[in-house]
Amino acid sequence: MTKTIRWICEKCNKKWIHPIETCLYCNRKIIKQIGTKLKVIGYTKVNIPCPPHPLVPYNVLMLEDEYGNRMPKKVIKDYKIGDIYEDKPDSSENTISIVKIKYDFYEAVKEALELIGDIDVSENTRILIKPNLSIPGYAYTGICTNPKILNALIQYLLDKGAKKENITIAEQSFFVPLEKIGKKSGIDNIIKKFNVNYVDISKTEFEEKQEREFTFEVSKIVNDFDLIFNVPAIKTDMLLGIDGAFENLTRFLSKKTFDELAKDVKKAVMALSVLPNMFPKFITIGDASIGMQGNGPAQYGEPGFYNMIFAARNPVVHDKAVQEILCLRKLPYVELAGKLSLGENDISKINFVGNELDALRRDVKQPIGSKLIKRD
Amino acid sequence: MFIKGVGMTKFGISDKLSHQLAYEASMKAINDADVSFNKIDAVVCATIEWFFSIEKQRHFAGMLSSMFKTNKPIIRVPAGCAGGGHALWVANQLGYDNVLVVGVEKLMTCKSESITDEFMMAMESRWEQPEGINAPASAALVAGAYLNKFPDTTTDDLALIAHKNHSNGFLNPKARFYNKKVTLDDIKNSKVVASPLRVMDCSISVDGAAAVVLTKDKSDIEIVGSDLCTDRVAPFESNDPLTWEATAISAKGAFNQAGITNADIDFVELHDAFSIVELISYEDLGFAKKGEGAKLIRDGYVNLDGRMPVNASGGLKAKGHPPSATGLSQIYEIAKQMRNEAGDRQITNTNVALAHNIGGVGGTVTCHILKKVGG
Repeated sequence: MTKTIRWICEKCNKKWIHPIETCLYCNRKIIKQIGTKLKVIGYTKVNIPCPPHPLVPYNVLMLEDEYGNRMPKKVIKDYKIGDIYEDKPDSSENTISIVKIKYDFYEAVKEALELIGDIDVSENTRILIKPNLSIPGYAYTGICTNPKILNALIQYLLDKGAKKENITIAEQSFFVPLEKIGKKSGIDNIIKKFNVNYVDISKTEFEEKQEREFTFEVSKIVNDFDLIFNVPAIKTDMLLGIDGAFENLTRFLSKKTFDELAKDVKKAVMALSVLPNMFPKFITIGDASIGMQGNGPAQYGEPGFYNMIFAARNPVVHDKAVQEILCLRKLPYVELAGKLSLGENDISKINFVGNELDALRRDVKQPIGSKLIKRD
Repeated sequence: MFIKGVGMTKFGISDKLSHQLAYEASMKAINDADVSFNKIDAVVCATIEWFFSIEKQRHFAGMLSSMFKTNKPIIRVPAGCAGGGHALWVANQLGYDNVLVVGVEKLMTCKSESITDEFMMAMESRWEQPEGINAPASAALVAGAYLNKFPDTTTDDLALIAHKNHSNGFLNPKARFYNKKVTLDDIKNSKVVASPLRVMDCSISVDGAAAVVLTKDKSDIEIVGSDLCTDRVAPFESNDPLTWEATAISAKGAFNQAGITNADIDFVELHDAFSIVELISYEDLGFAKKGEGAKLIRDGYVNLDGRMPVNASGGLKAKGHPPSATGLSQIYEIAKQMRNEAGDRQITNTNVALAHNIGGVGGTVTCHILKKVGG
């Protein structure tokens, strides 16, 4: 649900729109006030474009919550004063939720999951989280999954009743020792903070799985959990177009499988498109809190400052939506996965909750030079 | 302190770069003050470093040092569109005998979409910018709420404000719209940029610089009130989005320092970034009751021949708005009026004037009250 957030001093009731821990005046604790009953109290239709908002016209609503707190909201749909503004959560496979982070990563992750129908978690639920720790990068570069996203997700799971003993973070790198990446990205600190399990996938057992003409060696770890979160750091990729839900799954494969696929680009496209079939159902939480544009995913990319989180139950829906939002060229493996009925890749049939597609579209620096991605 | 000299460039599209524009305005102010630059103890400058600018130039103080051939202190005080007023306020506090204050902007180096983006960066970065709130949208939300709350006021009143400023700017050789006729119909029929505001409700971005020489030595114009106030970055965070609180507080502070009330003001240079801002500022400055600002424009009270002319220069609307230069160009206009050097736009009563400069959406506001010595 779209929500207002205020940080309020428990003593003097001063309100902030920015997160603080202690009141400057009273030195007292701050409590969060979340408003969810939103009413339209004003609007404007904007007709002038600018790089972050290239599509016009769009509307900016001024919303007011049950506490009298206000916030602006960009929409394409027309509203009038007095209308109730509400998001309708949808747990269908065709749905993607998109949340703009208003400083508070916890609330953003919570909102993104709530908008796709939320998750059922108990103290016995075994949970696997697969971040992106493929190559080393500080959090601000957007190369790895933002530790703040991981922190928020784990905290949300614990708040929902999960036990830390049942939460596992798993990843491997085909290029650099995982310890080095965990340290540089700051993910290590989160794992230590919550004392959750941490597994190097390369050290797990792999099993052969057959899908169409491909034989994949897939880590057996994916069989041991009730709930799997795929948490890619959304980046432009010179080869694949984007690093999203599909790319992040590749590190559940063995190095041997990965190397074989890397030898043949066309084969890799086919293989990537069927890759989700190798895994139990999972939820993708796309971390675009920093994001990347240009010739990513490594040193030639640059931070995109997208400041968004995506959540989807289907990886095709997720990656297709990301491609459209960032106005990138079509991703061949996603198109193919759509044709193979692995998920909806017709953008008109994807249900956007939290924010409308055309209210999000923006030009970013394209990755260039890919043999995979055709120019439109 | 006293205003010893003023100078400004023509506001418009210039082929000069920032430091060259600053030099031109400073030279004019120094000549107007009839002092040697050797007598200047410090320089306070205001400019925004534009991300999209072709200038690709950081460390403006160093640039000015090269231009002025000086090792004296050069203090840069960017404050969005209030940079000029802010610089004047700082210069007035420093305690030097003679200070050169210069504001400059080189905006016209990129397409309008990029300028829109630049101005958007004055909005809150997580709550407003991602939600598409650019400067016109922010003002438009305020305008919509105002017109909704006070239905006696209409967009026709906003058009009258824009028309009044264009009529004045028509007479100002330094103005972007000098000698360019803009009719009321032109304004009312102009394209809507962010409803209910039309393009002719918005100030125009230009290149330009303005400079003032401040001195402790008695001259013909004295700063008798000078106040700077800040407020929240986002209007939606305010208790009353229909008031720029910092305007009301800084005006009160300046009036108190001057020992006068708003009834003593003869004319005003007011920050009309948008027509709605001028309307609400009538009220925030105490010239009209809340919801009754439109009466001033309907009755001609703020016209060039009215009881209290507002924006004789043409204002940001018609003179043009090079953000960091705007506040000092207001001082230039006031000085010219007080010296009876304003040509066709000369006002009759020019003893006491108010200059009002806003940065962001009310995040920084300065009010300066200037008085003609012996007036």
